[in-house]
Amino acid sequence: MNELTSLTAVQAAKLLREGSTSAVELASAHADRIARLDPSVRAFLRLTPELWKEQAADADRRIKRGEAGPLTGIPIAVKDVLCVKGVETTAGSQILRGFRPPYTGTAVSRLIGAGAVILGVTNCDEFAMGSSTENSSYFPTRNPWDLERVPGGSSGGSAAAVAAGEAMISLGTDTGGSIRQPAALCGVVGMKPTYGRVSRYGLIAFASSLDQIGPFARSVDDAAITLSLMSGHDPLDATSSDRPALDVLNNYAGGVKGMRLGVPREYYDVKGIEPGVKAAVDSAIKVLRDAGAEIVDVTLPHTDYGLAAYYIIAPAECSSNLARFDGVRYGMAEPDAPNITDAYMKTRRRGFGSEVRRRVMLGTYALSSGYYDAYYLKAQKVRTLIKRDFDDAFTKCDAIISATSPTVAFPLGSRTQDPLSMYLCDVLTLGGNLAGLPGISVPCGRSEGLPVGLQVLGPQWGETVVLRVARAYEEASGKRAEVAHVG
Amino acid sequence: MLARLGLEPGDEEFYAEQLSGILGHIDRLQQLDTESIPPTAQVVEVANRLREDEPRPCLTQAEALANAPAAVDGSFRVPSIQEEA
Repeated sequence: MNELTSLTAVQAAKLLREGSTSAVELASAHADRIARLDPSVRAFLRLTPELWKEQAADADRRIKRGEAGPLTGIPIAVKDVLCVKGVETTAGSQILRGFRPPYTGTAVSRLIGAGAVILGVTNCDEFAMGSSTENSSYFPTRNPWDLERVPGGSSGGSAAAVAAGEAMISLGTDTGGSIRQPAALCGVVGMKPTYGRVSRYGLIAFASSLDQIGPFARSVDDAAITLSLMSGHDPLDATSSDRPALDVLNNYAGGVKGMRLGVPREYYDVKGIEPGVKAAVDSAIKVLRDAGAEIVDVTLPHTDYGLAAYYIIAPAECSSNLARFDGVRYGMAEPDAPNITDAYMKTRRRGFGSEVRRRVMLGTYALSSGYYDAYYLKAQKVRTLIKRDFDDAFTKCDAIISATSPTVAFPLGSRTQDPLSMYLCDVLTLGGNLAGLPGISVPCGRSEGLPVGLQVLGPQWGETVVLRVARAYEEASGKRAEVAHVG
Repeated sequence: MLARLGLEPGDEEFYAEQLSGILGHIDRLQQLDTESIPPTAQVVEVANRLREDEPRPCLTQAEALANAPAAVDGSFRVPSIQEEA
């Protein structure tokens, strides 16, 4: 019954309603596939069999009562930065080994409330810092399409799980591209909402002004449904918007006829873009034009400064967020250290990996007196310029399209020695975080046999526009996310 | 020292080289004239949000201490804060 692990959530929900499968059977089929494939893919850090058995049985009762929603009984996976009560959550780090959150974060608890079934916790770069999942302190995750290559990151485990048919939907977080880039590299759909659309309560913070939670799925519809169920105001996150919850389930299927889609020349010709990626994007542009969209040239003149501004702002925020890991209230500790300074030093020396240390150093430096104006304040001003670039572009177009990543999935180990080359993975995605925009990556063909992603960015709160373009592309191109045949 | 990361011998050279490369890239920000540009700390329209200061349910003492590496008499155990004289 491997077909069960190739379905979209919309297809599975229909089978569940008809009674031709059950939530328990669906979850079991996924658990079997995980048992078979995950020793090679390594998408999961931990499985939660007690949890899914109980949740799936509950979902079946709910379906029988005729109270099922679109995600009732759908098996999902959750990135290791999202707190689930009682389930070990470590942000891919040794410093949180053994941490069992005393509460469940809002996004996850809304999906649980909708009847979703949690299969397990997925691997990620430590504290979501990375673009390949190689910074996980546990093990690297493999790309299901080529096990010698990375799945992207930081939400690489979540992307790989959906690509491998080990989960129908998964959750990730996106601070500079950590949902969209792995979605592109694994050939699935991944969406980052507008900053404030989804509550961050219960998310282990990396860079609080940039972080957003979003879904991975194998169809635009599945991503839209998941996002809409997670979105909406939460009094427990002061930055969550009090706009009404996203209602995408009605009008985003309208197609692109008459829409203006902007192609930023700085993204189109970004340094290091592979010819095969460019060719796939060219075909996608043609598909959208043939579907009735007007393609317009736009410009984002400060693109070249985005990475630099991002690598001040994100490390600055992370250096203050990670100061809470002091070995006192939770996580790794040195209770027998002679004094508190010694305890901090020893805990962090053992608990933080090299990328985390690098960013804490960079952030602490950028915020220190004497350098604050030159680095942090400067970067915040450049953030304004980047946001204005997008504001200007959106006066000329309804949405922006580009490649999601300049390259396809790269071999394991090929960028770990050079941090800057790893950072460049996010050059087309991090602008969306600096400006707080919604963005999606959808599969748009292949280069060297590996998946390429098309990114669609919209104005703030323009999720409906983004989804509409993505869905129209998916339909017109026929390039739907597929399940990889692993091994 | 500021971040209390506890670097080991040899770490400094390793990070110094990598961080110089990253800072070299970051230096391009100085090319931009931002004299008249206001900084952006957060990008959406939400301003300070206040709520009524009312007691609400929260974690119990036992729940709050459940993950503590060391607890004594219902409190977190902390290493000595003051240096010995």
